[in-house]
Amino acid sequence: MTAKPIQTEPPVTATRITEPSTLDVSVGPQHPGSGHCRILIRVDGDYIVSADPDIGYVHRGCEKIAEYRNYVSNIPHLERPNISDAIHLNWGYVLPIEELQGVVVPPRGKYISTIAAEMNRIMSHLYGLAIMQGVFSGHTTIFMWGFGDRDLFIELAEMLTGARMTYSFLAPGGPRRDLPFGFEDRLSRLLDYFEKRLVEYDRIFFSNPLIVARAKGVGVLKREDAVKLGVVGPVLRASGVKYDVRKAEPYGAYDDLEFEIPTFEEGDSYSRYLVRFEEMKQSVSIIRQALRKIPKGPIARKAPLIAPEGEATGRVESSRGEITYVVMGDNSDKPYRVKIMNGSFRNLIALPFLLRNVHVADMPIIYGSLDYWPVEADR
Amino acid sequence: MGQVNLSREELVVNQLKSRFPDVVKEGKVDRAHRVTITFEKDHVKEIAQFMRDDQGFDHVKGVAGVDFPTHKKIEVMYFVGSYSKPDIHDLIVILKTDLPRENPTIASVVSIWQSAHFHERETFEMFGVKFEGHPDLRKLLTLDNWEGPPPMLKDIKFPEMGQR
Repeated sequence: MTAKPIQTEPPVTATRITEPSTLDVSVGPQHPGSGHCRILIRVDGDYIVSADPDIGYVHRGCEKIAEYRNYVSNIPHLERPNISDAIHLNWGYVLPIEELQGVVVPPRGKYISTIAAEMNRIMSHLYGLAIMQGVFSGHTTIFMWGFGDRDLFIELAEMLTGARMTYSFLAPGGPRRDLPFGFEDRLSRLLDYFEKRLVEYDRIFFSNPLIVARAKGVGVLKREDAVKLGVVGPVLRASGVKYDVRKAEPYGAYDDLEFEIPTFEEGDSYSRYLVRFEEMKQSVSIIRQALRKIPKGPIARKAPLIAPEGEATGRVESSRGEITYVVMGDNSDKPYRVKIMNGSFRNLIALPFLLRNVHVADMPIIYGSLDYWPVEADR
Repeated sequence: MGQVNLSREELVVNQLKSRFPDVVKEGKVDRAHRVTITFEKDHVKEIAQFMRDDQGFDHVKGVAGVDFPTHKKIEVMYFVGSYSKPDIHDLIVILKTDLPRENPTIASVVSIWQSAHFHERETFEMFGVKFEGHPDLRKLLTLDNWEGPPPMLKDIKFPEMGQR
């Protein structure tokens, strides 16, 4: 555990000539919209020859810290890696603990968790639309619109959970709070408004000839490559694989609700944009059904603070794809090991794959279309 | 998890057991959708090849290490799933093997499951497990100037984080 002093010489990452015609360029590690990450690219003129992602700038050892904290105090720091998608990181961690402890969440609790999770999916996709896709393709209007509408959802999330971004809403046993008074009404009015906005989003962004020209056919990930690389979430579904944990292994209230899994065959950046757009429509429909069907009754069961010996694997479909958590208990109040396998880390492999023989100017488009969240990948 | 039909899980276990009778030490169905296979570490590539080509498990969701200092072993787990066969979308097969704590070495499965690339790199860095045949086994997440044992081993303690 010694740290040698940081090199004083300029690191090899500064621009230098390697072969007569190529140039190594370090992109980052400034904050490119979602966290610090660096990509080393080798360019030949205007073309990227190869790319090597250098991640870890925001690694904080979540898995190690989790071994020092008890099951409940792990929740706030384990959802921290992705502040725009906190409910899913939280839920994925809670599921295996409940499995170990044998705790079953009451139906109303499941519905509340599902409503919160789908609201979070909309917020996260709006963030992706505004920053990762809007700003990176130079479209400032969608940046303002997306962020503005996301804030309306954030206000309701605050009303439900007490926090704007990192909610720590789900504990083993169920959510912490019941729906507050007047929440259903406000949420359904917001959904009415949001559905109208989605039409406008389509007109200003997705049907915009400039966006289509910049994103269509760029960064094509074919179906067999997507399967081989093991990418996940919207990136996988944009390549034509109909895979969604909400259907494959339903958790929460998804069993009772009807929804489609939007998929596209093209596998380019534009279809990755569209998958998220279509998913927001599905989320609206899921929340509407859940608000209509939500049963009465208790929201949570009391869960023990200790988990018995054993291991459990739980997974949820987060905004960036499947998150799998493995929790190993050892009869104490702290987990023996927590392993996190999340969408951003699994989609990282697509970045060097797609950044080959493309224009340098296409890099932000491809990066944005993956909706890569460095902090989530680094943990 | 609703109505449970265990036959697909049992099928996976039985196929692996009958194909590799000496290699698979234990195969069990944990619950619906989860299968755990414990195997001898020298034959990881044969198992991976069989699972990919014959059973349709085409990607790795993650590779995890677990340190057991009292048993002097590091357990490596591969979480394997399928995209190409919709009827086994819900299965996660956990391949488990034990490595000695001194010099943990195992063959890399990247040539079979390319999706394991970054996961093996992470496990190499965090647990010191050497994946032989990995095309690019470098550090990934820790600082360039971090010199020390792999940080996820249990004997690396961080007292400032409290008691463990």
